[in-house]
Amino acid sequence: MTNAQNTHTTVNEERQRLFRRVMVYVALTVVTLIMAFPIIWMVSVSLKPTVETFSLPPRLLPNSLYLDGYTRIFENPQFRRFLLNSYLLGIVVTILSLAIGTLAAFGFSRYRFFGDKAAKLFVITTQMVPSITLLIPFFGVIVWLRLYDTIWGLVLTYLTFALPYAVIMMNGYLDTIPRDFDEAATIDGCSPLGVLFRVLLPVAAPGLISTAVYTFLLSWNEFLFALALTRSVEMRTVPVGISMMVGEFGLKWDEMMAFSVIGSLPVLVLFMLVQRFVVSGLSAGGIKG
Amino acid sequence: MATLELDGIKKKYGELEVVEGLDLSVEEGSFTVFVGPSGCGKSTLLRMIAGLEEITAGELRIDGERMNDATPVERGVSMVFQNYALYPHMSVEKNIAFGLKMLGLPRDDIKRRVAAAAETLQIGALLKRRPSQLSGGQRQRVAIGRAIVREPRLFLFDEPLSNLDAELRVTMRVELAKLHRQIGATMIYVTHDQTEALTLADKIVVLRDGAIEQAGTPMELYLDPANAFVAGFIGSPQMNFLPVTTTGTDAGLRLSSAELYALNVVPDGAGWGADMTLDLGIRPEHLQVGEDLPVRFDINVDVVENLGGTRYVYGSTASGKSVIAETRADAIPRAGDKVTVGFDPVRARYFNANGQRLRHKLAA
Ligand SMILES: Nc1ncnc2c1ncn2[C@@H]1O[C@H](COP(=O)(O)OP(=O)(O)OP(=O)(O)O)[C@@H](O)[C@H]1O
Ligand SMILES: [Mg+2]
Repeated sequence: MTNAQNTHTTVNEERQRLFRRVMVYVALTVVTLIMAFPIIWMVSVSLKPTVETFSLPPRLLPNSLYLDGYTRIFENPQFRRFLLNSYLLGIVVTILSLAIGTLAAFGFSRYRFFGDKAAKLFVITTQMVPSITLLIPFFGVIVWLRLYDTIWGLVLTYLTFALPYAVIMMNGYLDTIPRDFDEAATIDGCSPLGVLFRVLLPVAAPGLISTAVYTFLLSWNEFLFALALTRSVEMRTVPVGISMMVGEFGLKWDEMMAFSVIGSLPVLVLFMLVQRFVVSGLSAGGIKG
Repeated sequence: MATLELDGIKKKYGELEVVEGLDLSVEEGSFTVFVGPSGCGKSTLLRMIAGLEEITAGELRIDGERMNDATPVERGVSMVFQNYALYPHMSVEKNIAFGLKMLGLPRDDIKRRVAAAAETLQIGALLKRRPSQLSGGQRQRVAIGRAIVREPRLFLFDEPLSNLDAELRVTMRVELAKLHRQIGATMIYVTHDQTEALTLADKIVVLRDGAIEQAGTPMELYLDPANAFVAGFIGSPQMNFLPVTTTGTDAGLRLSSAELYALNVVPDGAGWGADMTLDLGIRPEHLQVGEDLPVRFDINVDVVENLGGTRYVYGSTASGKSVIAETRADAIPRAGDKVTVGFDPVRARYFNANGQRLRHKLAA
């Protein structure tokens, strides 16, 4: 009797669990569709001739395979130039922020020196200033430095945003690594920089990678400063390039969206990378907690 | 293998003096243990020897050579940490080999020495694993392997066993003693566990508040403590202390207290006098229940701790002093019982109000 009742409850519970599962998946699917819609639409428009863009009823896919948007983008040296600029800028900014930021973070994390707290606080406060308020002063400084309309003007500008971020993030990651590692490595014959490069950075690799991705994307997505601090077409970046397509070339939706898709690819790939790498626990096991 | 000399070694953090002018010499091939309560400066001292902490004043010599400003590698020291501090991104093999790689040794050499160290510590099967895939005891072995593979002049251990469970700690303790015999290197070991100190050390250095209270062989410290602190710190359970007052007699001094009717002592050294209040120290293992010993008094039993082979009786005297006595008899006293405990005056140690030892003639 009791047994039968038990079995009954279990079946019921099983059904409830299944129901809950289905509901969760339905909710997730709806949310994903809402969030993915602009991206799906971007891809869809990039695959249709401009005449079909606003056809009613809307169609997700064109009548026939249409890649003209993409081929025209790749054939146009101007767009290749925008891509090249964006990549160059992103890579230089990332490398510089990581190199300088990691060393600064190492100093903040491992050494006490005069004014260290004040310096750290200052680095953090730079992140609190809304960047748009800095646009005019930056314009002045960049012109004064004779860096207006150069890639180095943008590198310098982006570094002022990316570097404090890199310092703060890397300082946070390094602070989570116990000093025992430093000391063990010192005993094993490492110099202070040896400790950083041979032990701390490998242990902090997930942090290093996510910081790198963030600084790259910060530079990749930036629009306002890139627009204000460059003038010639050769100096434009991808976001500015996309915006230029609205006026100068009429409204070629297929090209514009194809370029947007190409511009979004690094973002997508990098986010997937970070997801795989930001699994903490790499440092687990070396230290008994 | 090496000798180590500390000459007036001091450590200050700002105004705070953590180690105050300390002299010590460590003999070649010896096993020296620093013990003391938490915060007494054991780790700080060890880290100054290692070269991880700057020496504020004094001189540190290894093999007679001044080493105050030398790097750990120049000093030829290796160290095992309480937290193991194995590099998590390297395999066991790479962890052990890291120091040798830093020295720039040829590959074949490194391979051979890692294999030898792994053999000594029986971790050959673990070489390809990551530290996170090891048990606590295995991690500690790897940490020791990392230390021995460099064949240093001086081994330093900072509470290497305190993260292991009780059983493993005993096993590893025995293995460390074996390892010391096997490689014969000079070892300095920090612990706050007096049992580890007694079982491992050739020489124990008892520290308190950054100063040496006493240094000597385990038996010297056990039998002939220089002061009440060392007497209380070495030995477990702790030594009993009973207040007594002195009266002068023709033959020497007579001690009496609420517990002791009269006990004659013959002073052997300075510091004694009539009408003083002293502490009589007697170890639990020398205060036996129901034995027919020369000095006896009664206690009320509070708790009995039965360890199988022996049992400790926690009780209080008529005047309310708590004491611990031992009995090996099979008849176990029970809480609430009144039992007689006794000791041989030869076993008693005396300390003045400042805790300084007052020596007495052991044989009348
Ligand atoms: N960096 C530091 N700055 C200031 N004081 C310190 C510093 N490091 C240690 N101390 C102080 O020095 C004293 C000795 O510390 P130490 O770590 O040597 O003690 P210990 O004997 O190893 O104790 P434990 O058994 O708890 O490990 C302590 O009072 C500690 O607070
Ligand atoms: Mg310590």
